[in-house]
Amino acid sequence: MTAAKNSKSISASEGRIIQSRKDRWVTIFSYAFLGLFALICLYPLLLTVSVSFTSERLIASDGFRLIPKSFTLDTYVYIFSHSGSRILRSYGVTVFVTVVGTLGSMLVTCMIGYAISLKELRYRNVIAFVCNFTSIFSAGLVPWYVICVNWYGLSDNILALLLPAMFSVWNMFLMRTYFSAISPSLYDAAKIDGAGHMTTFFRIALPLSVTALLTVGLMYILSYWNNWWNALMFINDRDLYPLQYYLYSIVSNVNAISSGKIPAGAAASIKLPSETVKMAVTIITIGPIIFLYPFIQRYFVRGIMTGAVKE
Amino acid sequence: MNAGIVKKQGFLWEIKHNKTLYFMCAPALVLLLMFSYLPMGGIYMAFTKFNVVDGIFGSPFVGFQNFVYFFSGNPYAWQVISNTLILNFWGIILGTVLPISLAIFMNEIKSGPFKKLSQGAMFFPYFLSWVVVGAILYGFLTSNFRIDRQTGETIVTGANGVMNRLLMGLGVNPIRWYAEPRFWKAIIIFLNVWKWSGYNSIIYMAAMSGFDGSLYEAATIDGASRFQQITRLTIPMLKPTVVVLVLMSIGRIFFGDTGMIWGVVGQNSTVSDAVNVIDTYVYSSMRTMGFGYSTAIGICQSIMGLIMIMLANFSAKKINDGEGLF
Repeated sequence: MTAAKNSKSISASEGRIIQSRKDRWVTIFSYAFLGLFALICLYPLLLTVSVSFTSERLIASDGFRLIPKSFTLDTYVYIFSHSGSRILRSYGVTVFVTVVGTLGSMLVTCMIGYAISLKELRYRNVIAFVCNFTSIFSAGLVPWYVICVNWYGLSDNILALLLPAMFSVWNMFLMRTYFSAISPSLYDAAKIDGAGHMTTFFRIALPLSVTALLTVGLMYILSYWNNWWNALMFINDRDLYPLQYYLYSIVSNVNAISSGKIPAGAAASIKLPSETVKMAVTIITIGPIIFLYPFIQRYFVRGIMTGAVKE
Repeated sequence: MNAGIVKKQGFLWEIKHNKTLYFMCAPALVLLLMFSYLPMGGIYMAFTKFNVVDGIFGSPFVGFQNFVYFFSGNPYAWQVISNTLILNFWGIILGTVLPISLAIFMNEIKSGPFKKLSQGAMFFPYFLSWVVVGAILYGFLTSNFRIDRQTGETIVTGANGVMNRLLMGLGVNPIRWYAEPRFWKAIIIFLNVWKWSGYNSIIYMAAMSGFDGSLYEAATIDGASRFQQITRLTIPMLKPTVVVLVLMSIGRIFFGDTGMIWGVVGQNSTVSDAVNVIDTYVYSSMRTMGFGYSTAIGICQSIMGLIMIMLANFSAKKINDGEGLF
């Protein structure tokens, strides 16, 4: 209000200068806000990395610090000499589940997404509804669990880490959106050349949807790599622990003990993994994601943006 | 009508004619049948005193007993319902305001290394699992100290997390975070917003990239400041997107994120009362109270969820001129 009054009493050119000054404040504030938020997002990661390279003694005396006084590989050496085989085993489980799960998911998701993107499929809306309904109503955790265990025998079975997460309705609709944007004349041309739907799907639809494939593929990779819930539900056999669940079993023990509810005698008998070990296991768990992140981030953002615009 | 045409356009004809396409749908539909539709038959368990030996359809039928028990004389019921609503309420408010702010500010700065770097940092939390977030959080909240009985001095007995070091640096007494339930709702809400904001801001950025640039040019010529352009152009034009996303979250207001609560709080029973949601209660009562009872709670939740999503869809159609949520 006062700014508006002032600008009346001064000349137009001065008004413009005030205007651009105000604009500059908007810009400065934007930089500051984004910089601060970016820091809040990255700082925890940097802290975790640096703690994993600090010696246990230094952590106990100085607490968690971003820049440690000295740098050591002791924790990693310790982890791999003590529980190296366990971690490698879990790594193997996670890598296997992620690779097989993602390939399977992509095939399942893209096939149905392609089929219901075609107008010639008469029951495409029925199928879309059948898919959509599961996202607005579900039987809940318990019936799902009982059926998975009693009927499908998924407890302590590697399939428990693969099958329940194999089809995401959300990803399917993202793929369908992309496939619908492909010009039907391309399909018609292929049909005239005698191509069946399988050929059209593999030779035309998939190669034209690379961004979508990368985005959806990444979503599935993340969901398999980060999945520990299904392991919590179904897996008791330590040989089948995925990495995330291995980390969970370490961290949740520690949380329970620091709450003070467990009697001192019992707490002493549970061997606490030390602070640095926890942080190092965390880094080992997210390692591949950190390395891949700079390369995939760009495609991911582009894919989500395009998918969001079309909806 | 001629019988031949009717036959040609019948159900079987369609299946046969497009058999490759239906075949392509089959794996996904089988997975949905296995993991979504068949479990719906298990809803029957809510009306039984379920035991594993007799199975789903052999266990004794008890009518609505499980439901009655949940809603009457069970202090946990209202606690977990109110926890779910409180966590989701703040999650929706902050989880809408922050991503919109991020998207708007992202739009205000020039592209360059800073933009790329901050964008990259913003999405990073989305790539972490809740277990990893819980482990990282430990580095912030861990506490190892005791207060001397006589002098009241704080004596550090081991590693202290970033938060406690900050408090001690300010001359304030450190806090045993993992033994103080009162902080945990705020911590969970903060983590949830932190993890999702970068990802959700992409959706608003996508919406903004579709706005008509000539409107902004006209506004500049008319002497509108950047701030006015944000409040008078960008925010009103974002409204339909905001309405859809907020209503979608309201549709899921009775659902909590078990992965988040369990990943971050773990088996810490001291603080879990403050953050237990309906979903985590279903999970824990499955082990302690039996399958019939926990199924009943899950069903109440699903039905409330269905009602809320229908209401949300109805409201979306009212507000956005016939454009529903699904």
